[in-house]
Amino acid sequence: MIDNTSSFRVKKAFGVTMMLVLLFFAALPTVWVLIMSFREQAAIFEPIWESPLAVTLDNYRGIARSDFPKALLNSFICAGSSTLLAMIVGVPAGFALAKSRLSGKFYASWLLLLLRMAPPVGFVIPLFLLYVNAGLIDTYFGLIVAYMTLTLPLIVWSMWNSFAQVPDELIEAAIMDGATLGKAFMQVALPAARPGAVAAAILGFLIVWNDFFYALIITRSSTVTAPVAVMNFISYDSVDWGSIAVASIALTLPILPLMVIANRYIVQSLSGAVKG
Amino acid sequence: MTSKSQPRATAELERGYRNMLLPAVFAVGIFAIVPLAGMLALSFSDYHLIRGTNWDFGFKNFVRLASDKRLMGSVYAMSVLSFFGVLTQVLIGAAIAVGLSKIVGKWRLGRVLFLLPYAVPHVAVALIWLSLFTPTLSPVNAFFDLFGITVPSFLTTQNGALLAIVMADTWTNFPFTMLIILAALQGISPDLEEAAALDGATRVQSFFYVTLPLLIPAFLMVTLFRFIDSLKHFPMIFVMTKGGPGRSTQATNYYAYIQTFQNSNVAYGAAIAVTLFIVAAFISFYVARLNQRITS
Repeated sequence: MIDNTSSFRVKKAFGVTMMLVLLFFAALPTVWVLIMSFREQAAIFEPIWESPLAVTLDNYRGIARSDFPKALLNSFICAGSSTLLAMIVGVPAGFALAKSRLSGKFYASWLLLLLRMAPPVGFVIPLFLLYVNAGLIDTYFGLIVAYMTLTLPLIVWSMWNSFAQVPDELIEAAIMDGATLGKAFMQVALPAARPGAVAAAILGFLIVWNDFFYALIITRSSTVTAPVAVMNFISYDSVDWGSIAVASIALTLPILPLMVIANRYIVQSLSGAVKG
Repeated sequence: MTSKSQPRATAELERGYRNMLLPAVFAVGIFAIVPLAGMLALSFSDYHLIRGTNWDFGFKNFVRLASDKRLMGSVYAMSVLSFFGVLTQVLIGAAIAVGLSKIVGKWRLGRVLFLLPYAVPHVAVALIWLSLFTPTLSPVNAFFDLFGITVPSFLTTQNGALLAIVMADTWTNFPFTMLIILAALQGISPDLEEAAALDGATRVQSFFYVTLPLLIPAFLMVTLFRFIDSLKHFPMIFVMTKGGPGRSTQATNYYAYIQTFQNSNVAYGAAIAVTLFIVAAFISFYVARLNQRITS
């Protein structure tokens, strides 16, 4: 049905205008940070139309020479390792929760949600005291272990949802054919849930990559991750906006492709049913 | 399979499942339950990083909580941030989702453009919005200056600072709402709206009476998840306002951090964290029940 009445056109124009306004809201900060990253230090406080040609790569060179790349590497190490560890432990657990007839599954789902929702300050206070006494402050081991509190509940929860969508018959058939449970898991269930597993790993990686609070408390200079290292560009008397802009871009670019891949599955990780 | 061997096979299978679950149970026990137990124990103690500790356990932290004016202030700040943040995220996210599905059709680039803010780590979000709210730097201020309009400095007033955090929070999180609502919209069969149209419903009527009711579970889920996340506000407060001006943006999670790591009062910080945790426990119980109802 094509509706060409004028009232419909007015509504359509209103809708398009709304979308453009919202697009402007969504895009302005992104465009602004790109502009800021290329501005000369001396011109950064001038309106852009007064010195549009004050363009430079100095901010990018400065970041490349600073300690920031090492902090990015630290972020990669921590996000990668804690995600990998949580996948090894969490994927079979998600499978078991989705397919077994264990009682108390509801409480497991509550616990997983609660761990995801609990205020991080609650985890960090005891961890901090423990780490101070155990000499684990500012170590990769300590940080990776701490991040397991973020990645594990997320990965178990989202794999539970992914495996729930694999038909029970598929696994039953494999077991009828004489496969062990382990084989049925590795050769039937896991391949069927592979997109979900990729998404769970990406989400785990992103949650650690994004973290600011844990790293702020339990790292010092040697294992500092990128989100905390950005703060070094702010000192008591001045803020190095050019470097901050470049660092913000450097923080976002590596995960942008992951986000584009994972966005469809973010929904699933919440609940298979919300899909509709 | 004969009926006799089935119970035994099932029992064996269940044992297998239990073995697969065991490492995770163990890991959750170590990585999550132990710290939480530690937090609970600390909240009843008198642990202080400077003043020293007598390991004298009792309810005094919780008694103090009940009459702590700063805590009340922090709950107010948290409520304002949560309420307005979640509200704008849900409204903007839903508007864009409807727009993307109805007006622009299958515009994939639009989807990616709107998704972009969600990919920016929160510290970067906070820094970018701090720059937008710094009057000497902001292009918004510079633009309005051209017309002789002075944009007020948001971060120096109480409500302005709260609004600034809500805006930054909304900017980075509306794509989450958008994604969920969009997925829910796409899950609705077009037949339903066609049937409504055949029955003489207008587009507006079919949206409000057919589409919207089907979106309610998605709205509920999104609101709850965003609400719970909003209780954990930290990087934006830390970067943009440091809890100020005064204590006006010191939300509860941030207040627990201040008590623990700036005032060195670990026990009291832990008591605040326990209180927040109990709130999260109630909400997550409700979410788990909701999830169970939707999936079964």
